[in-house]
Amino acid sequence: MGLTLALGELRRGKLRFTLLTVAVALLVFLVLFQQTLAGTLLGFFTGALENQSAEVLVYGEQARRNVEGSVVPLTAVEEVASVKGVARAALLGEGTFTVRTEVGLRDAVLFGFERAAWGTPLTLSAGRLPRADGEALASAVDAEDGFGLGQRVLVEPGGTPFTVVGLAEDVRFSVLPTLFVPYEGFVAATLAANPDARGVLPSLVAVDPEPGVSSEVLAARITREVAGVEALDRRTAVESLPGVSQVRASFAIILGLGSLVVALVVGFFFLIITVQKAEALALLRAVGSGTWFLLRGLVVQVLIVVGLGVALAALLLLAAASASDASFPISVDPTLLAGTGGAMLALGLVASLASARRILRIDPMAATSRSGAGGLA
Amino acid sequence: MPALEMKDVRKVYGSGEQAVVALDHVTLTVADDEFVALVGPSGSGKTTLLSIAGGLLRPTEGIVRVGPHRIDEYGPKELTRFRREFVGFVFQGANLVPFLTARENLLVVSELAGADRRHARARADRLLDELGLGGKADRLPAQLSGGERQRVAIGRALMNEPELVLFDEPTSSLDSHLGEQVMQLIRSEVKGRGTAAIVVTHDRRMTHVADRTVEISDGRLVDQGA
Repeated sequence: MGLTLALGELRRGKLRFTLLTVAVALLVFLVLFQQTLAGTLLGFFTGALENQSAEVLVYGEQARRNVEGSVVPLTAVEEVASVKGVARAALLGEGTFTVRTEVGLRDAVLFGFERAAWGTPLTLSAGRLPRADGEALASAVDAEDGFGLGQRVLVEPGGTPFTVVGLAEDVRFSVLPTLFVPYEGFVAATLAANPDARGVLPSLVAVDPEPGVSSEVLAARITREVAGVEALDRRTAVESLPGVSQVRASFAIILGLGSLVVALVVGFFFLIITVQKAEALALLRAVGSGTWFLLRGLVVQVLIVVGLGVALAALLLLAAASASDASFPISVDPTLLAGTGGAMLALGLVASLASARRILRIDPMAATSRSGAGGLA
Repeated sequence: MPALEMKDVRKVYGSGEQAVVALDHVTLTVADDEFVALVGPSGSGKTTLLSIAGGLLRPTEGIVRVGPHRIDEYGPKELTRFRREFVGFVFQGANLVPFLTARENLLVVSELAGADRRHARARADRLLDELGLGGKADRLPAQLSGGERQRVAIGRALMNEPELVLFDEPTSSLDSHLGEQVMQLIRSEVKGRGTAAIVVTHDRRMTHVADRTVEISDGRLVDQGA
């Protein structure tokens, strides 16, 4: 099946094929690493919304889908709760504060949720959800930075105290440490920080649909029926956060360029060696090789080189993940590895089309017209 | 049945005023165990004749039969299969695949024909032994001398037990002593197997080993030999 040819050339050209494999491995590692980096970074932007329990989030209409700028009037909250298809609705407050931890002053985001309600993290990894005033659940990634279990955090100014009773994974917001506290505590902290405020209105309303009602349909219905609000299903809310689409687009460009470089490197390499061995290929065509036999050899070589490159890149990513800092964890996602690996193999095959075209155009008669054909002269 | 039968074969390259007649009404028959030398000056049509006989080129006119195969009617795919299964080639220089060992150069043609790999390996080793290359089966062409490379190419041509073996200037890159040795080797290999062969050469000193010498000039056979 063309293996004598393909494997024979690989064996005799160890240096050149090893160099290509290493180059592919480094490029694929960069692509994988950037994808992982993008996932972590976007998780730091959006985790608090992505991994909370409410399926629909209701914003103030003027907020233009920005949590920081959203204020929902209390009258609208009651109207949202009465919309057909709403099973539960609860207040959700959000604000960015300066907090004092055991290791110093930090900026942090506070989410205030109604007790025994929802809008709380789904990814609890240690401790428990807050049950009383003065309790908080923190983003686990910040545990070493003064937000560990049992540690006290004071919201400044005003010094409203919270004790961390639980940690949850992937719940940062706007790339800041994030605390989920009971709504009353959130109000108290906000008023303490801004004593002139006459009251605190909720930033969002967290809504769960009744069984059988889709979150998209319910969000559209709430937006239509309740004046002054815009409701979004959770996925749309995450994608609409400021900066998310820009970050995603930036990484898409970087990943696209990385993939293009992989394709160019593989494509040019195989094109060059196809040109170099054109006389040998003409000889093989002359002695009865069909073009498919030669193309199979090319495909086998591309799959071996790119496959080994992807495997090596995966090992590099595992090494990077094991060496990564707890404050910026890099996790290896098998689905990402398989998807990227498959895409790179497909890209390698597409990139070798120029070589395939060259092979298809080889004229067996060329074997009769060159002395030393086969590269021996 | 003759190994090769060419009747009124013409080959014209190009068209109109640019047309070049490479073969002009050539008629040639080679018996099934005959060893024919084809001589002529450069540009006389030797390689064109050999290429048509081997299914590398299609004639513009005329009939070409190799054994029972009427190859002038074959399309590209049929010609490829024909070259793979029924003809052996040795081209100018000792053309081999440079990144395959001597043994692999033989094995690759049996792989093309879909032969059993174990049997093919045994046959390749036997052929290389017969050609005096038993100890050099794992060497790359670059590690062999010119004569050794030529012998590997002969082995490759015989690997699939063809009905006709075509040699295009097999001694052109060798000195006269080595050239003589190679011609004797070709004779002994094809005669030992009862295979028909045509050897193209411009060196008349090499023709005495052939059963018959055919001379071509300006695309016409001017002497069919005895």
